Amino acid sequence: MPPRLDELTMARRAASELQPGQVVALGSGLPARVAEIVPSGAPVQLLSDGGALGYKLPDNGEGASGPSLCGPNGVSVALGKDGSVVGTADWAAMLRGGHVDIAIVQPARVSAAGDLLGWTTAATPGLFAPGRTVDLAAGGRKLIAMLPHTSSDNSPNIVTESFPVADGRGCVDIIITDIAVMRVEDGALVLAEVAPGWSYDDVVSLTGAPLAPPGDLKEIAPSLESLNIERPGKVFPDGPSAITDLHDGATVMIDGFGGPGGMAHHLLVSLRDRGTRGLTIISNTIGIARIVNFGTPAGKLAIDHSILVENGQVAKAIATYPVSPSASRPSTFELAYRRGEVELELVPQGTLAERLRAGGAGIYAFYTPTGAGTLIGEGKESRVIDGKDYILEQALTADFCLIRGHKADTLGNIVYKGTSRNFNAVMAPSARVTIVEVDEVVGAGELDPELIVTPGMYVDRLVVRPEGFSPYE
Amino acid sequence: MLQGKLYGSPQAAVADIQDGSTILVAGFAGYGVAERLLSALLEVGSKDLTLIYRDGPYSEIGSGPLPSIENLVSNGQVSKLISPIPYSPGGGGTIEECWQAGQLEIEIVPQGILVERLRAGGAGIGGVFLPTAVGTRFESGRERRTFPQGEAVLELPLKADYALIKVAVADTLGNSIYDGSSRNWAPVMAMAARITVAEAERIVEPGELDPEAIISPGIFVNRIVAAA
Repeated sequence: MPPRLDELTMARRAASELQPGQVVALGSGLPARVAEIVPSGAPVQLLSDGGALGYKLPDNGEGASGPSLCGPNGVSVALGKDGSVVGTADWAAMLRGGHVDIAIVQPARVSAAGDLLGWTTAATPGLFAPGRTVDLAAGGRKLIAMLPHTSSDNSPNIVTESFPVADGRGCVDIIITDIAVMRVEDGALVLAEVAPGWSYDDVVSLTGAPLAPPGDLKEIAPSLESLNIERPGKVFPDGPSAITDLHDGATVMIDGFGGPGGMAHHLLVSLRDRGTRGLTIISNTIGIARIVNFGTPAGKLAIDHSILVENGQVAKAIATYPVSPSASRPSTFELAYRRGEVELELVPQGTLAERLRAGGAGIYAFYTPTGAGTLIGEGKESRVIDGKDYILEQALTADFCLIRGHKADTLGNIVYKGTSRNFNAVMAPSARVTIVEVDEVVGAGELDPELIVTPGMYVDRLVVRPEGFSPYE
Repeated sequence: MLQGKLYGSPQAAVADIQDGSTILVAGFAGYGVAERLLSALLEVGSKDLTLIYRDGPYSEIGSGPLPSIENLVSNGQVSKLISPIPYSPGGGGTIEECWQAGQLEIEIVPQGILVERLRAGGAGIGGVFLPTAVGTRFESGRERRTFPQGEAVLELPLKADYALIKVAVADTLGNSIYDGSSRNWAPVMAMAARITVAEAERIVEPGELDPEAIISPGIFVNRIVAAA
């Protein structure tokens, strides 16, 4: 048989799948070597469960003097200019919430149906260490399995039968071995590429599963050209240009807490000007700053959700604080609700934050004690766990999220200022399109990676609040 | 009057750990391990412990040999381990031997599920439906349900008596920041334990840390010991 590919060539083949702007989670073993291939300044973010988002190997890193960080294999790494430090819970939420474009793992075996076995137990029956494999297998939007085509005893690692117990079911999309590249399509394997000198029959002879003959069998010759393409820009010239696809009937998350501070006022005005109708708004209040007048200059009105309600754009609110604290000064939403023009789903504040976090973190539902035995619990499943009453609450997601940041870098990494952090960190990951209005956009690498609260992977568009813009009108 | 959180020695900070306690041990591949606290726990000698941790620490990683989970097992202090990687993949050593001999119970939990169960414990959540284990060996014995997003499995919260964490800087009220990979499990573990003991590289006065930068607020940190 012709020679097999070495590990770095396999890693190069895996790296050729990466596209600009993608987040790529690497497991240990062969996948960790992909970091050796990705060049400095490449437009992708590598994610390590060691807490590094946007890491590079020190040799091709840009900021080797940064925080002490390790890759998935425990080896010291540096952050790129796009990088930030995350905890393990963040890492898990990124995967489970569907925010990782590609995950790459090294399983022991893969079945024709795309199931994987993370660890063989030949040496120690019954005891094994799934570590991160199960999370990576379940979490990557696209899963690449890298492994030797055969085991040391020459038995195939790619097999027909499914595993009685598995570490991932139907999750593998692409298999890269030391002799071939295969795709899992409709529960069957298709041979896509072979190592130089290898034939279709050669590969079949070492494969324990049927391999569909390729229409056009290529030699493995990975190109990294896509890593030379700049990632799509996120900075938009103004509010209106950032919301041109915000459609009638959309669900929109809006940040804010009580008073007028910490809201994306310019984006709110842009949304009013756009006139989009039938909106469902998810927010803490549905506009009380306008009537409470915390520090509002005389003769002015605070800009808040009320401007959308007044304009007849809101069909429904999912909110904590939908009414005015003063019965004599009802909010715009309150009046519309009394007239039967809008729907309301009332959610306790902590439950709102937790439902938003669940939406972004891939938690489908959770039991909370908040509201158990009250009106809030009506119509919801209740359950006693360890002698305590809980109710089941569902995750919240949205089409768009409009939030206020303090500073962003050009890649969308965000820091907040004071109370304007409020719901933002849990809203940004839970919307399909997250748009952040900031005071200032700085260059990549200018924010302290330990201080970044919302990593750029959760931010799609940035708008700088216009100079001299007033949150009052 | 706020009770002081500073302890003069690691031994004093862990002296009350009772036999049968559940202890969270932060760390990732040797980063962010509260080495002095682990050494002190070896000296204090509490037994019948349940340890929840990510890995090792493997002694071959880092600046030199670290007091490890394995040392505590060798010392006869441990009855159960809950971990995604209970022993070094290179070879099980004492942990594997004790498990084979039936002296040690091991529960293996994928790390994303384990960290979320700890977060649920710390955040007062009664249980979370996660898609991760669906169809895998980790679904066994758990409740599965269908949601609009797909199938998910009920994972129950985990809490502990103590957490032993390593922080870069703590102020005397316990507000803490981390350095790089040392953050790992610590913020979640600090929330999930009744008593969190932080081994701090540096201890400063209240007000010296940037309040926007604090990762673990002092309400989650009960005791502070200097790392050296």
